[in-house]
Amino acid sequence: MEVLLQELKSKIIEALNLPDITPADFKEDEQLVGGPLGIDSIDVLEMVMMIEKEYGVIIDNKELGQKVFATLKTLAAYIAENSPRLRN
Amino acid sequence: MGIVSPLGMGLTETRAALLNGQRRLGRLTVFEVAADKSMPVGQVAALPEAGDLPRTHVLARLAAAQAMAGCEQAVDAVIMGVTTGGMFLTEKHLKAGHGNPEDYKWHGAGTVAEDLAALYHCRGPALTISTACSSGSVAVKIGLEMIRSGKAGRVLVGGVDSLCRLTYYGFLSLQLIDPQGAAPFARNRRGMTVAEGAAMLLLAGDEPEKALAEIRGGGLSCDAYHPTAPHPEGLGALAAMRAALADAEIDPRQVDYVNLHGTGTPDNDRAEAKAVRALFGDHLPLLSSIKGACGHSLAASGAIEAVVAAMTLQDGLVPANTGCVEVDPELAIRPVQTPLHVPIGTVLSNSFGFGGNNAALVLAKPGQAGREGCGQQAEAFSILGSACITGRGDTEKTTAALRQGVTCTGMISAEGPELKLPARDIRRLKRLPRLTLSLAQAAHQDAEGSKPPQAVFFGTGWGALSDTHAFLTRLYATNEQFPSPTDFTGSVHNAPAGQIAMWFKAQGPNLTTTGGDYSFEQALLAAELCAAGLDDPILVAGADEALGALSGLFDPSVRAAKELSDGGGALVLTRSAATAGWPRLGLRFYANAGQSAEVMAEALAALGCGEKLSERYGLILAGIPAGGRAQGESQLAELSALSGFKGPVVDYRKWIGEFASASAVAAVLAVKWLEQGTVPGVLWGGADLTLDSKGILLLGLGPFVTVVELFGS
Repeated sequence: MEVLLQELKSKIIEALNLPDITPADFKEDEQLVGGPLGIDSIDVLEMVMMIEKEYGVIIDNKELGQKVFATLKTLAAYIAENSPRLRN
Repeated sequence: MGIVSPLGMGLTETRAALLNGQRRLGRLTVFEVAADKSMPVGQVAALPEAGDLPRTHVLARLAAAQAMAGCEQAVDAVIMGVTTGGMFLTEKHLKAGHGNPEDYKWHGAGTVAEDLAALYHCRGPALTISTACSSGSVAVKIGLEMIRSGKAGRVLVGGVDSLCRLTYYGFLSLQLIDPQGAAPFARNRRGMTVAEGAAMLLLAGDEPEKALAEIRGGGLSCDAYHPTAPHPEGLGALAAMRAALADAEIDPRQVDYVNLHGTGTPDNDRAEAKAVRALFGDHLPLLSSIKGACGHSLAASGAIEAVVAAMTLQDGLVPANTGCVEVDPELAIRPVQTPLHVPIGTVLSNSFGFGGNNAALVLAKPGQAGREGCGQQAEAFSILGSACITGRGDTEKTTAALRQGVTCTGMISAEGPELKLPARDIRRLKRLPRLTLSLAQAAHQDAEGSKPPQAVFFGTGWGALSDTHAFLTRLYATNEQFPSPTDFTGSVHNAPAGQIAMWFKAQGPNLTTTGGDYSFEQALLAAELCAAGLDDPILVAGADEALGALSGLFDPSVRAAKELSDGGGALVLTRSAATAGWPRLGLRFYANAGQSAEVMAEALAALGCGEKLSERYGLILAGIPAGGRAQGESQLAELSALSGFKGPVVDYRKWIGEFASASAVAAVLAVKWLEQGTVPGVLWGGADLTLDSKGILLLGLGPFVTVVELFGS
């Protein structure tokens, strides 16, 4: 899980072009969207694409998205649980 | 009126489909999509093939032919709402790696209006509005203002868009598409259905006895809130509806029916319902959205709904809110469930788009007392501030270079200070929005002490090329699996103006125009038409970015140039009486050169000074696009011969480069020279020119001829 969390941080920074943010700025239990990182609804959709592409995990509705993208930790947990790639 | 949509071809078929409450959403067949990306669409069946003409243009021609049937008289202006133009074919050619510019000649969104202008012998402007999903309604509003102002007697207005991969996958990436087809205002609604279509209306000011309906008013506003999401309380939507009612001089109780924007997305429908409740309180008129019947045809939708509204006025057919079985109780509105027949005197028609671009129209039965236009030439704008960017740098660097006789062609450095904005504000912005936002801020700064602009009029020849290119590149690279929502949001022509609005919290009209080399002049024309009653400053800007992969394919002048250039100009303007005596500018002439052999004589006549041109103007800035030098040069020679103009002429594109909105830079340079009172003679190889009280003429030459005049304080 720790490896996945670290990996996600850099992948999110890259996908969302967060130029002034380093992996150390991510607090894993902090609100991910609408929090201090400035991540908004368009970013969520960009993350959806990245997660499907990188991990084969599909998040295709808002209700699920709100749960999954609550914090970095919930996101990592959902990916770990549902990714066919990580299971293999 | 003319209409082509999934509901059918023409008024009769459309009426029959609406009368039967039909839902015409179905499978996409105009391009292939993977099974897991397949969503219902509103596709126009059996669209005839028309050689190398894109679907958009075919749709537009069909609807225009209906609207113009039996009309012999030429129109004075064509005003179209268009978002993607020839994108349907462009995508195909780009994917195949085709490098022949001929394949892209219909790419520009502005080519639809130009095509219709040629077909219907339009002598005046062919103006294209690109404000995403409100484009069609905005076009109707602009047409109305052209007639009210006396600038035109007959105007062909409308909207058109065809299905294409950009919008299909774009809305898919934003998770805004309902897999079951749009169900506006339903409890279980999940999004919209992308569609295509076209609708046209011939507006005339002088023949009320023949009128099918009357456009009584229109209102524009901007959320200035978010690139894609509406303001959660629907404040922008409410402002547009209020503005439309005020413009039509009616109060909410006089509205019998509202043709809602009602896309079927959770956010739009919630915001719109709130706005409708705020406007009408408990006295709700009949309400429905037809997007569950025919989908959302983007730029066409506003025009399609204006035509449907006119049909409703004619025979009292109120369309059902098709697709919605169980209304969302949270919305506290009750849309019409089955088609009704009741007498309807006044309709409000809503259209809202990305960038928070909102428009509402009021249509009424003909013969009621409409608002009279003033029929006078609008006063010129006072110039409060201005700024430009060229390959040489900002305003200061550009004017300094020109003073030394150094050219300002080339591309703006991405690393230079001009495009440096706070990192977090621009992390999602690519080249054009950065350029535009920098310009807007610099112009506001130059307008020392002035309030931030409250309305934005932005012209761009080619829009956000970097975003469009990035979107399509990733789409194809991932085998159409992972389109980028960020790039799609950035790719719409009105994204830069939306960014400006958010920056300044500018909640007034927010218009983006696009028409090749005349895009800036179109923004100025739109500003002149929409600025009545606005006391606060407005921003009028033009900008284009260069992109190696696309600019040359699309723009013949870029191809003809030795190097890629980009840049733009922005002006903070006002009509406030308190600024009398300030430097001023006004668009004095805009005509289709293809429809008149005497276009230059007409331009002189519009200026009202014939042979006295040299007495009023010290300098001519001639915009001669490299793609059509011969035509531009002969027009200029004709003007000189007719007027005997003795002052210097600067062929300014040689100094600042070939890009569609170069005239915006030229306008700003003219302002700076008027402020200094002198123009560097090195630009024409003579002595410096002292302007005294003389003005500067900014000419746009080629297929259209535009004349902007500028005077010092």
